[in-house]
Amino acid sequence: MYRAVKNFFTSIKVAIVLLILLISASVLGTLIPQGRPAQEYLVRYGQLGGLFRKLQLTQLYQSFWYIALLILFSLNIIVCTLVRLGPKLRRVFRPKCDLDPKSVQVLKIKDKMKIPLAPDAAKEAVQAELGRRRYRVRGHAAESRHCLLARKKLLGLFGSDVVHVGLLIILAGGIISGLAGVRGSLTLSEGQVLPVPDAGFSVRLDKFATELYPDGNVKDWKSDLTVIEGDKSVLTKSVEVNHPLNYKGFVFYQSGYGSDWEKPELEVWLKKTGDPAYLKTVRLAVGRPAPVEGEDITLTVSRFLPDFVLDENNQPSTRSLDLNNPAALIRAERAGTELFSGWIFAKFPDFAQMHQAAESELKAELKDIKAPQYSVIQTARDPGVPLIWVGCAVLMLGLFLAFYWPPREVRLVLQESQGKTEVTAGGITSKSREAFQSEFESIMAALRKMK
Amino acid sequence: MNESTIFTLSFSLYIGSAFFYLAFLYSKRKAMARTGFILALLGLVLHTLALVLRTVQSGHAPFTNMYESLSFLAWATVLAYLIIEWKFQAPRPGAYLLLIVVGLMALASSPLMPKDATPLVPALQSYWLWLHVSVTLLGEAFFAVAFITSIMYLRAEAREKAGAAPKGTLTAERLDSISYRAISVGFPLFTLGGLVFGMVWAYKAWGTYWSWDPKEVWSLITWFVFALYLHTRIVMGWKGRRSAAIAIIGFLAALFTYFGVNYLLAGLHSYA
Repeated sequence: MYRAVKNFFTSIKVAIVLLILLISASVLGTLIPQGRPAQEYLVRYGQLGGLFRKLQLTQLYQSFWYIALLILFSLNIIVCTLVRLGPKLRRVFRPKCDLDPKSVQVLKIKDKMKIPLAPDAAKEAVQAELGRRRYRVRGHAAESRHCLLARKKLLGLFGSDVVHVGLLIILAGGIISGLAGVRGSLTLSEGQVLPVPDAGFSVRLDKFATELYPDGNVKDWKSDLTVIEGDKSVLTKSVEVNHPLNYKGFVFYQSGYGSDWEKPELEVWLKKTGDPAYLKTVRLAVGRPAPVEGEDITLTVSRFLPDFVLDENNQPSTRSLDLNNPAALIRAERAGTELFSGWIFAKFPDFAQMHQAAESELKAELKDIKAPQYSVIQTARDPGVPLIWVGCAVLMLGLFLAFYWPPREVRLVLQESQGKTEVTAGGITSKSREAFQSEFESIMAALRKMK
Repeated sequence: MNESTIFTLSFSLYIGSAFFYLAFLYSKRKAMARTGFILALLGLVLHTLALVLRTVQSGHAPFTNMYESLSFLAWATVLAYLIIEWKFQAPRPGAYLLLIVVGLMALASSPLMPKDATPLVPALQSYWLWLHVSVTLLGEAFFAVAFITSIMYLRAEAREKAGAAPKGTLTAERLDSISYRAISVGFPLFTLGGLVFGMVWAYKAWGTYWSWDPKEVWSLITWFVFALYLHTRIVMGWKGRRSAAIAIIGFLAALFTYFGVNYLLAGLHSYA
């Protein structure tokens, strides 16, 4: 049983199958829109929509089976890395150094020569030459033979392991983010203070501004935020898109904005149908009666809708929070008697179905609408993030080692032959054979010149 | 001279280069390939100048709409190819790669692509735009080189199996090794630019380093495919046809990440 499990996880074939499954599942998740309301799937896919939801294809990346695949993949990475680590460590720390020249002659990169020096002197000279090329040399001697093992860039052996460790750190960070990450959003008007959930401190929006380019496109949204602990302001920062505020593990992002249509400032023009020169301008807020200058008339707006529409019950309501069809429910009275009342529309000044209580030639037009803007600040606390960055750094280091730090090994056997020393040499590398071959040849050329 | 004139000049040089590389394929005269190389290099220099001018005039990185991004991808592909040719002294892939470059440049200059330098929307105002896009596209350019050499491998291998002599010194085995070397440059670049820098930027701009946005998922898919390439090759010793097939699929995935996602799938990356 243990063996079967171990074989399962150490098998590279299983890793390949898992990779292919992950690829296919991920592709599927981009073909089916994710995280939409159930209704949308029924409209789009009919009967299949229900099946998709049951198989969690509509929340694929958070689904039980996708996460299970990721966990199996991680286990496979862990086991494969550990199993291969032992032999590699042995190769680095307890290398074999064979005194038999035949062990060197079987290598693909090899050479043979005679040096006019005694074996001990030759060994010193060879060692010095390899040292100059940054090889670390170890070796031993017996029966008038020397064996030398010269190696460099051994860290490169572990490139793939470092990559795997980096990936596992990233996955661990992802798990922590998923389990312990908190996200929220704060909708703040200027001057408003709101407590940050679970944080023990509050933030205040001091100022919100939209910056525009000369052509009218949005350049930036800026929220000046102040962090308040107890009753003390501890930190003020201007939060912009791409420039969040960090405080005690919480990060605050500019994520949206809008206009507060509950508190609009309106400008209403009062006209007389029979007198084109007559014009009175009144600025007013919803629910607060405002006097008309020079008249004994009071105007009251009791309701404002930014995008007027009649709903299914034929009641006025708003279709959106955009200023598409602004309308105000207005009432004019003189000394307690109603003059007129009804909805007026900024875009359709002539379309006013006024309920004229008394004979009146007065007419109201909705002219200018302003509303205080609010800023939407997204809050996030994600304790997994530091691990993600560490994992990324380790991953990149591993890729560098794996691709650009090729371990190199030169093996030499020296033996006495008629007063001279016979050198048999061979080279081992797993990558960039051509570069190593030329280095090997240059080492051999240097050895040949020895006297 | 303004940016669009210089762009057109470099475009013409690339067309000339593709022509000479093609002539080299048919005439087998080394001088043709050398002319192709020099024209591509000159085109690259002018193209660089055009990109610099564009940056100075618009005040932001030259890859914020489809025109700029295609132009930059073409630039990166020429750069990647010239490095590989110089390193391996193998000019045969030049014809195909320069044809791809000409295609990219033609697409960039087509009337379908708005060329006006528009001011940056708030989300793109970050130096991570430079790091994320340039490194990713450079990585993808090396995948493009591997794509071509892999297709050439499949043809060369079939020919050699049938008993024909390899064309010039560019044997199937050498094409296989060039593909691998191109991927070993492209893969770390793509990882760094596409995934790592992408995550850092996403965290700064959106408050989350990963949101399973289609473009993110597709770059992960691309990454998985090349991981598959490396593992089957290094651990299982796959070489040759199966390796070449995975490299081709990998490039197609990268191409879809770059191009297809924008037009076919909606998501957070809908800037271009």
